[in-house]
Amino acid sequence: MTNQTLSDSPADLYQSLSDAVVGMDEDGVRALATAAVERGVDAYTAIDRGLVDGMSRAGVLFETEEYFIPELLLCADAMYAGLDILRPHIVRASTRARQRVVIGVVEGDTHDIGKNLVKIMLDASGFEVIDLGRDVPPQRFVDEAVAQGAEVIALSTLMTTTMDAMAEVVTLLRDAGLRDRFRVVVGGGPISQNFSDRIGADGYSASAPGAVKLVKQLAGEAA
Amino acid sequence: MTPIERFAAYGRGEPIDRLPCVPIVGNTAARVIGVKVSEFRGNGKLIADAQVAAYRRFGYDVIRVFTDLYTQAEAMGARVHYPDDETAYLQAPAIDSADRIGTLRPADPHRDGNLPHHLEAMERTVQAVGHEAVVTGALTGPFTTASFLIGTETLVRLALKNPAAVHQLCGIALEASLAYAEAILDAGCTPSVTDAMCSSKVISPKQFREFGFPYLKKLIGYINSRGRAVTLHICGKTRGIWEAMADTGAACLSIDNDADLAEAKTKVGDRVRLMGNVPPSETMLQGTTAEVRQATRRVIAQAHDNPKGFVVASGCSLPVETPFANIDAMLDAVREVGWPIRTEALA
Repeated sequence: MTNQTLSDSPADLYQSLSDAVVGMDEDGVRALATAAVERGVDAYTAIDRGLVDGMSRAGVLFETEEYFIPELLLCADAMYAGLDILRPHIVRASTRARQRVVIGVVEGDTHDIGKNLVKIMLDASGFEVIDLGRDVPPQRFVDEAVAQGAEVIALSTLMTTTMDAMAEVVTLLRDAGLRDRFRVVVGGGPISQNFSDRIGADGYSASAPGAVKLVKQLAGEAA
Repeated sequence: MTPIERFAAYGRGEPIDRLPCVPIVGNTAARVIGVKVSEFRGNGKLIADAQVAAYRRFGYDVIRVFTDLYTQAEAMGARVHYPDDETAYLQAPAIDSADRIGTLRPADPHRDGNLPHHLEAMERTVQAVGHEAVVTGALTGPFTTASFLIGTETLVRLALKNPAAVHQLCGIALEASLAYAEAILDAGCTPSVTDAMCSSKVISPKQFREFGFPYLKKLIGYINSRGRAVTLHICGKTRGIWEAMADTGAACLSIDNDADLAEAKTKVGDRVRLMGNVPPSETMLQGTTAEVRQATRRVIAQAHDNPKGFVVASGCSLPVETPFANIDAMLDAVREVGWPIRTEALA
């Protein structure tokens, strides 16, 4: 639990929120987020400098192998618990619309931890993530990306049997004359940069934090 | 030399014709006899026919009777989806929360799910080629089976929030694994243990030591007590757990291509044989035959002088559609290098 007291400054509160996310302290985050709301602290800043900062630190710990999937998931649980409390209190509109990413595990596979980690990290990085879940048919990625006005389509798989479905998404986009409207990124156990190049995707990442960097870079190009 | 003669001579340090070589063929065996992968479901005879035909077609050293990792979890209530002609995958775990763990019962290998069919496949394979080739039966480790029973994300959250529940579940999975191991041994086969979720891509080395290791040690200890040496495979990154993997009593560690064979050799090569690690997807499935030969020579260069011995292998089970030419290329490269290994042959 945290030692947050009402006399601390907003900056201290943000730091405590961030620490509680890194510390996987879901109850602590709830208490701090509630305190932030009661004190009228700016919710947007509390999310950005508190929750998002904490998740980003957790991502670094994951990359350096101090944290593993269990820790990262509990950090995310804590972050989302805080978001539930703080989001309704955002007063000022964010400076620009959040860029959208359509993400899912391609058809034929139900391994979704990797996809979920990427989704969490994208969420924490300010993207609006439309999660299509697992076992998603190629055409649905295309339809949803169009309907949602997404910038990026993110495809995940752990199974070699489903790699062809990734290629099919790219083909469907091309055939529909939509290829230039979206950036397509791929990831998962059997995927490599070579494979990404061969199917004509825009990028590959071996890790969830790496995927966020990649999407940030590509979304910038698409915008 | 037959595979059994080759392994025996290699183990005694006597001359052999080539290093043992195991491209880990699972459902690719369906392609060898021209059947659909889904036809293996509930058909032990067909699995055996395919595995024997694949062994004869390629001439590798170890047969592993395997279709997917879910057979034990399925026999305890997990739902598995069988696509028409691809490897099966987990549709839904048996339970969704810790308070339901008490409802699970260890599977009866002679009655539940597809376990009896897999046992039949093992028995038939041993009958057909057990006199010349090493025949192993795939056995999923307790922690991994636990993850299929309750869902991986639920399991790893519990590892931090309710460790006692994880131990309770792994205990049930262990009981099921021990019963299945006994049945596999009685079928004349050696269990080959895979504990995919113990990967350091999923849980930390510390969590492995707490939740994976104790159950593996009991399982492998039992198999050893029946006079059989065990190969243990853990997918992905494993560098931080090699010592613990060796402490389980496994005689051979099968190393994924996410890990470095040369480093494994330095760390645990004086305690365990190593096996690996030509990339199954990037090289075996998608590479050219030249790339397969190059990768094969590379792994031999890295680990042929491992003190406890080395088996040239793919880093994990081969994808179903791995080209036959690439499997042949792996064995050809091993034959060309021959024995004794001359380093100039590895360039």
